[in-house]
Amino acid sequence: MSILRAERLKAYYISEIFGIKRTVRAVDEVSMDVDNNEIFGIAGESGCGKSTLIKALLGIVKPPLTILGGEVNYDLGDKRFNIFSLSQKESKNIRWEYISYIPQSSMSVLNPVRRIRDSFKSFINAHKKMGKSEFNSLVEEHLNLLGLPTEVLNAYPHQLSGGMRQRVTIALATILRPKVIFADEPSTALDVVVQRGVIQLLKDIQQEQKNTIILVTHDMAIHANICDRIAIMYAGKIIEEAKTQEIFKHPLHPYTKYLIGSLPRIGDKSYRVSAPGSPPPLSNLPSGCSFHPRCPYITERCKSDAPSLVEVGNNHKVACFLASKEG
Amino acid sequence: MEQNNKLLDVKNLIKVFVIGSGFVRSKITAVENVSFELQMNKPEIFTLAGESGSGKTTLARMILGFIPPTSGSISYKGKEISKLNGREIELWFMKEVQPVFQNPFETFNPLKKVDSYLYETAINYGIASKKDAHKFIDESLNLVGLSLQEVAGRYPHEFSGGQLQRISIARALITKPSLLIADEPVSMVDASLKMSICNLFKELKERQGVSIIYITHDLATAYYVSDRIAIMFRGNIVELGPVEKILTDPKHPYTKVLRDSVPEPDPERRWQGRIELSSFEEREYQSKGCRFAGRCPYVMDICKNKLPEDILLDGRMVKCHLYGSDSNKTVS
Repeated sequence: MSILRAERLKAYYISEIFGIKRTVRAVDEVSMDVDNNEIFGIAGESGCGKSTLIKALLGIVKPPLTILGGEVNYDLGDKRFNIFSLSQKESKNIRWEYISYIPQSSMSVLNPVRRIRDSFKSFINAHKKMGKSEFNSLVEEHLNLLGLPTEVLNAYPHQLSGGMRQRVTIALATILRPKVIFADEPSTALDVVVQRGVIQLLKDIQQEQKNTIILVTHDMAIHANICDRIAIMYAGKIIEEAKTQEIFKHPLHPYTKYLIGSLPRIGDKSYRVSAPGSPPPLSNLPSGCSFHPRCPYITERCKSDAPSLVEVGNNHKVACFLASKEG
Repeated sequence: MEQNNKLLDVKNLIKVFVIGSGFVRSKITAVENVSFELQMNKPEIFTLAGESGSGKTTLARMILGFIPPTSGSISYKGKEISKLNGREIELWFMKEVQPVFQNPFETFNPLKKVDSYLYETAINYGIASKKDAHKFIDESLNLVGLSLQEVAGRYPHEFSGGQLQRISIARALITKPSLLIADEPVSMVDASLKMSICNLFKELKERQGVSIIYITHDLATAYYVSDRIAIMFRGNIVELGPVEKILTDPKHPYTKVLRDSVPEPDPERRWQGRIELSSFEEREYQSKGCRFAGRCPYVMDICKNKLPEDILLDGRMVKCHLYGSDSNKTVS
């Protein structure tokens, strides 16, 4: 059963400065299904549109970001809705309680001049009315469960280390037991050891609360470690989607092949090759398949037609004429 | 003549930062007694790895001469840096040792054309006159797989992060340095282009004979590019030796934790077991004995009171009581 379904979602940044129109095709005709109780990974380089996709899926759309088409439907059991048709009040009620978000920088959630306890308070009070003792026991129980010391409640954000702050943010984002959690590069700014702790925490929460996590990161090794399924984004489109094992064993799109083939591994010093060229700017995409100027297997058709994401068996979808043998 | 065989000789380097003023002063020892050396006629890529706050950037800034050490000495080609006069530093040392910074978008002023940096470096260091500067610049751009034609007249935003990082490496190469100090040079570069920068470092070492101090927290790329690695923890080098030995068979408990925390890009080999994180990092700096004692699974009484000595073991240096003469314990 899918809990989140996006259909032909199109979100562009449209701006007009001094009469010069600029269109950034950040999310272009993206369709995706996320199953209940899975960890779904979205991978891609910086500037491929993955953060914009998250914004659109969360329904946080402010100009210049404009939704030009498509739908995002949630099916949370007792609640079904299209995220773009909700009123402001409705979406406010849904956020954090049903759909939650973990940002890359914890300081954008925690108020620097208030104690952590106050952040928890304002968070919970916006959704549930409860007494002081009920509040204390809820928060302390949750922190204990996540293995965090309850002393942090009395600390100010700056007194905590980066890793601790990120774990507090995760605790905050999950305290209302949301059904869907979006995590945007939650461990990128952290050290390896702390990163492992944060990923471990996410996994624990998912197992305990049985919710769905959509994890966005550029780090393929993190995806390999935690995700059930992965979607690869390139230039505003999902170009490949499959189960984690499948995509690492049999990558089909040339870009995915480069991405996975160039990963360094400890214990293996063999020569690694990066993809030639560099990613195109989203405001000025090449014609046809966006990857064609960098692709070693280019055909005439790739220059004019854009391949669509098609299933090639084994729940493996790819957007490449060569791999899908389409047409 | 032994002195002259060393390209870089760092001895007992210490840097203490004083935080606050007046009555609320506290000291943080960012670098605590670090020693290592690079050989002259044997170019190598030497990695300084460690978490943020382990002192690796402070160490790099001291080697570059940006900040003075509290005590200890740094000798480059047999000459102590702190004893050089301003003229020698400008005409010799700064040419010989060049930095490459982390974020290529911050290295270049967005309002200035990229090639102006290349011309400035060539002319200000007296490498070339205004007339023939372009020849030297083109040469060093060729080394990084670019040409002056591609770069001339363009602004930073017209390049990708990978290209800009190449240009900043080309800029460093104009003065024909013997040592590059690259502080997290690939962490801001796109995933699909990361390895091309790593390959570039390898080429520079092999073809141009440039030694590189590669500073990173990314052990996987460190394994790929480097010959030797030093693992830093809270201002100390806790393990130093050939990268194959240290990363495939770590001896220091901290190196083990670090090594086990690197995610494998392989869904068949996910993390096993669990790890403990320290909740209050400042305490680790202040502790008297081994800084890792609070989190170490093999901790002994001696660890809490006495900083371990450097111990030679299996072709590497390791700073841990487990292997010292004070203890006859062994670890599996």
